[in-house]
Amino acid sequence: MTVGSQMKTCHATLKSIEAGLDLLYASTTEQDLKNTIEEVAALIKDARHDMHQQIIYVDKKEPQYKTKL
Amino acid sequence: MPEWISIIIRSIILITVLFFFIKWLGAKQLSQLNIFETISGIVLGGIAAFHTVDPYNSFYYALLAMTVWFIAAFTIEKLSLKSKRIRDFTEGKSIVFIQNGKVMEENLKKEGYSTDDLLEKLRDNNQFLVSDVEFAVLEPTGELNVLPKRENQPITLKDLNITPAPAKEPQTVIADGNILLEPLANASLNPTWLEAELEKQNVTIDNVFLGQVDHQGQLFLDLYDDHIVVPEPAQSALLLASMKKCQADLELFALATDNPQSKELYERNQKRLQKAVDRMEPFLK
Repeated sequence: MTVGSQMKTCHATLKSIEAGLDLLYASTTEQDLKNTIEEVAALIKDARHDMHQQIIYVDKKEPQYKTKL
Repeated sequence: MPEWISIIIRSIILITVLFFFIKWLGAKQLSQLNIFETISGIVLGGIAAFHTVDPYNSFYYALLAMTVWFIAAFTIEKLSLKSKRIRDFTEGKSIVFIQNGKVMEENLKKEGYSTDDLLEKLRDNNQFLVSDVEFAVLEPTGELNVLPKRENQPITLKDLNITPAPAKEPQTVIADGNILLEPLANASLNPTWLEAELEKQNVTIDNVFLGQVDHQGQLFLDLYDDHIVVPEPAQSALLLASMKKCQADLELFALATDNPQSKELYERNQKRLQKAVDRMEPFLK
């Protein structure tokens, strides 16, 4: 597996985490947990955004390994 | 009127009266009764028993005596709720046996406790050394309550500086194959959700002996048919695991790359993930 595809896996995992958090947010009634999820979701979103930019950057640098995102 | 009919009628009336009297006197647990409540309970029962089997006694006397005893017990109970002094008198005071790690011999003597009695009561509380005890008090009910010295107290999450997630009570939503609507509403869920959850686990409602929902909205099931294996809900564990995996991946990328800019980006995001894991861990464990 090339680094590029590893990064894409990581990006997908981040997406799945976001979805999991959303699911938990919707199913819980605890205010404490909801607040924490909001905070954590923001962190994950930033990380996912950064990873997305990085994937585009790497693809540009090494187009021979480019795969579909 | 034949005697046996009279006995039946008396029994039924006295059972009803006794039932309501005891109910009105309050539902304190039997072990928590003070002396007066115990005695009045016994006397009420005694009067009822006595007048049930003796058809020659006047029935009105029974009702009269029971009412008087009931009113006396009821008044004392209400008064002792209002006034501390009456409460001390009727229920008794708690007596300190050990203070600041020192045995109060005077109090022991006053209550008629020997050293052996004290040691036995301490052992009841898992304290075998008097020197481990900071404070011990004899309650009016005859029970000894013990506060161990600070270093002998069991360790708590507070001692370890761990902030736990607040745990709410789980709700039992299925019992004997029936959906219980009230607990379901308490957990802010509805039957449609429950049906969807059951379908997800491939189980019919008739086969479910017991179903409980925890505070995260996860459903635990016990089936009549114990051969069918129900997967334990692992959503939250899975979420935590994927967060940890992602964090590890980012750490690897940071180590692998030579580009300082990329390294910085990976490290920044790895720290974000670490923070996210730390925040979520107490809730997801």
